[in-house]
Amino acid sequence: MMASSHVNGPVRAVHSPAGWGLGLGRLFARYPAISRILSLGLFFLVWEIAGRVPISYAFPTFLETFYAFATMIADGSLISAYGSTLQPLIIGIAISGTVGVVLGTVMGLSRMAEWLVAPLFIVLQSAPMAALIPLITFVYGIGLAAKTLAVIMLALPVIVLNGYKAVRNANPSLVAMCYSFQGTRLQQITKVIIPDASPVIFAGLRLGLAAGFIGVILAELLITPTGIGDLITYHRSVANYAEMYAAVVSIILVSTVTLAALEAFEIRVLRPEKRRG
Amino acid sequence: MFKGFSCLKTGAAALVVSAALIASAEAKVRVAFGDIASVESLHLLTALERAKEKGVDIEITYLKSEDIAAQAVVSGQADIGVGGPYALVQKVKAPVRMFLQLSTLRFYPAVNGEFYKTWKDLDGQEIAVHSRGSGTEAIMKLMEDRQGIKFSKISYIPGSEVRTGALLQGNVKATIVDAAGRRLLETQAPGKFVILPLEGVNATDEALFANQTFLEKNAEDVDKIVESILTTWREVTANPAVVTEWRAKYKLLPDLPASQVEEIVPYFTELAKGKAFPLNGGGAAAAKDDFAFYTLSGQLTGDPSSLKVENFWDTRSLDRVLSKVGTM
Repeated sequence: MMASSHVNGPVRAVHSPAGWGLGLGRLFARYPAISRILSLGLFFLVWEIAGRVPISYAFPTFLETFYAFATMIADGSLISAYGSTLQPLIIGIAISGTVGVVLGTVMGLSRMAEWLVAPLFIVLQSAPMAALIPLITFVYGIGLAAKTLAVIMLALPVIVLNGYKAVRNANPSLVAMCYSFQGTRLQQITKVIIPDASPVIFAGLRLGLAAGFIGVILAELLITPTGIGDLITYHRSVANYAEMYAAVVSIILVSTVTLAALEAFEIRVLRPEKRRG
Repeated sequence: MFKGFSCLKTGAAALVVSAALIASAEAKVRVAFGDIASVESLHLLTALERAKEKGVDIEITYLKSEDIAAQAVVSGQADIGVGGPYALVQKVKAPVRMFLQLSTLRFYPAVNGEFYKTWKDLDGQEIAVHSRGSGTEAIMKLMEDRQGIKFSKISYIPGSEVRTGALLQGNVKATIVDAAGRRLLETQAPGKFVILPLEGVNATDEALFANQTFLEKNAEDVDKIVESILTTWREVTANPAVVTEWRAKYKLLPDLPASQVEEIVPYFTELAKGKAFPLNGGGAAAAKDDFAFYTLSGQLTGDPSSLKVENFWDTRSLDRVLSKVGTM
């Protein structure tokens, strides 16, 4: 596979067996991507073997799944599925992001708001959402509103609680500095507290998006099958297990890529001190 | 060396004995339902109680969907499943076979009388069905073909009761509902909705299926179950009201709310009138009908005439029971 060809090249250059591990270690340190590809490659290999054993009649091999994945991209079904899945996700994340950051900031600044709102979100965060989502349909039916609400229910608590902790734990010496420079309360908030809290708030948004992905998939599996949830239920019902797994893996892929991109953005813009040299 | 060997032999013998003991302790026949028990399964529950009376030790579990019931049977965590695993048998070559048809699809295309009166009126209109690849979708596609019409869009609303509600509220104008939904439409808004005629659709809705090895090793138990069900089905068809007596006799679904208890007799009367209980257990004839229907719905692939009954059905038990109780 691709991974082994990556590894074989440089490894051949190392002669002594003792140098093997060392060379590999150095290689991984220099190109972290190689170790990731190798670990993925190993995982796919294990998957392929497990599929060939087979551990279950309903468990496809990696190659079958990959082929199904390519077919589903080629015939456009995967892409159009994401078109409808992303709709409630984007609306839900936009609402949770706006409301969550504002609410979190207010809670961080005011003890009163904290007492009023924080317990609700702490409870929501630990609530079994998969059990609560079907209840949404009793009030909001089965349309876009219900699915958006499912996304919000999962994403909002994370965003609010992160924002609240970030603002509450803003560096006290910076706040004191603002005070000693005779800064007003408004200046203290907009020029010191929020900029200082922004990395953690942003991390909350990133975690909120991850939770939102879970929310939208849960909604599509539990409320009405649309988009990617429809692909999963449909292919399962007609026993196209390779296609079903391909759809599941595609979600992992899309959410991983999105989150990695956000993390890269976060490190580049908000936390320059974390950048690797 | 020899001593060690004989030791091994006794050990192996002990293992075999204990395995046999475990097997006899586990000789329970585990039946996996793909849905929770409701009024609609009262006759099946009765039949299983009767099989118990004949000495079959039955344990019923209720799973979330038919897919999961099928997976449970394939993986050996259940012995008999309720459902129609045609796709599973064809596509992944799972060694399960159906051995008794429990019900045929009974659905009623219902349209809002203000807008549509006949099949032809649905040309170019939107309809709602249960889900992609479902029996309801296949029925509507079949009628599309037969009537020479074309729907503009098929939308998916899972749950017949949800579609019935949507029809009553005016959210959809044409859909397909089950017997309970049809009755609800007739009681809630008499004359407002038109039930379109549906003929010649005779596909399996639910069947009993099991692993081939289980069917061979437990032929006696399977025969008893098949016989109980066939005789029960014949009794329900002759006298649907008897189901309430059975419910009392076998203490089935004791927590059923009063409103649903009232539904029992009308539900079974309607199905008995529509001949929804296969009196001869389906078998090869049913399989042939299913091949035609499920190739259309996408569950099965290939030319229906090329599909072989023995790849999907094991009719031996049914044949034995039918020769005993006779065909109707």
